[in-house]
Amino acid sequence: MGIRVILIISLASFGLDARPISYSGGSTLMGHSNNMKDSFYYHYSPSYKYSIGIESLDDKVFGDSYSYTRLTYLINRKNTELSQRNLYFQSGINTKDLNNNFYGVHGDWETRRFFVGFGFKQVENQINDYEEKYIQMGLAPYLGEYGDFHTWLMFKAKKNSLDKKWSNYPVLKFFKGNVLLEFGYSDVSEWDTHLMYRF
Amino acid sequence: MKKILTILLALTSLLSAANSSDTDHHSHEGHIHEKMIDGKKLEVDPDRFDKFLVGLEDAQVAIVNVQGMVCDFCARGIEKTFKKDEKVKKIDVDLSKGKVLIAYSLNEEIDFNDIKEKIVMNGQNAIDMQVVSL
Repeated sequence: MGIRVILIISLASFGLDARPISYSGGSTLMGHSNNMKDSFYYHYSPSYKYSIGIESLDDKVFGDSYSYTRLTYLINRKNTELSQRNLYFQSGINTKDLNNNFYGVHGDWETRRFFVGFGFKQVENQINDYEEKYIQMGLAPYLGEYGDFHTWLMFKAKKNSLDKKWSNYPVLKFFKGNVLLEFGYSDVSEWDTHLMYRF
Repeated sequence: MKKILTILLALTSLLSAANSSDTDHHSHEGHIHEKMIDGKKLEVDPDRFDKFLVGLEDAQVAIVNVQGMVCDFCARGIEKTFKKDEKVKKIDVDLSKGKVLIAYSLNEEIDFNDIKEKIVMNGQNAIDMQVVSL
């Protein structure tokens, strides 16, 4: 049962790594849902270099609720005329139990047409520590102007050290104005949706 | 009859001159993007730039070359920051060209370091700037 809970926690983080820090003074609301649980995450960025926030999780299967206090820090960024490359440190501490926490890095490189990303996360709890990693790549089939409706076709592969096998699935991402909507389908988590609003 | 013809000819000449003047004026406004600034041609989207100029008078436009603008969130952050600046009359972000267009009054002094700092605070880099007076 412990392993199932941990797996659910890890699945809930799908998609939350996208745009982990806002512009200076910006706030972001994220909602995430799949057939097993709902997650709600708010973060504020005092500077473009880091964001602080809280993620609240509702477990639909076990009826459990818990929260993470989260910090994301931009370790390195490289801007060019056509691209941006980022490397982030991420961490979270369970508000009920400081011994339950996670930390890791994730990075991305993107242009207006292509996206490539990866992540590694170590989760420590008092039951069974585990790690997870993912890679993600995407393509924008057309290039919209600022304010247009944007679409991304993506592919994500993820592996959890408890599960020991890769989960591969397609992701569709839509983006307009302040809103981002992402759908992914995994054979493990089935439909996986992610909504983000930045202000 | 001769008088009437003379008046008609004069009126025709006046209207023609006025029309010619309008055409020249329009032509000038519509091709500001072809101006050479500091020996460089403006690298702007002509249609977008002309649209940006609509309604602007006695203004100067800073055309800022920005690196790292790859999505709408980058653009929105820059737009929000400059909109808070009372000296800024209008702003537009051209993602495809990597340009930020910022309009100021003619009497304002444009400080590129201030612009650079604002853009860096949003996580991008301003590389250079050209200023066009209207």
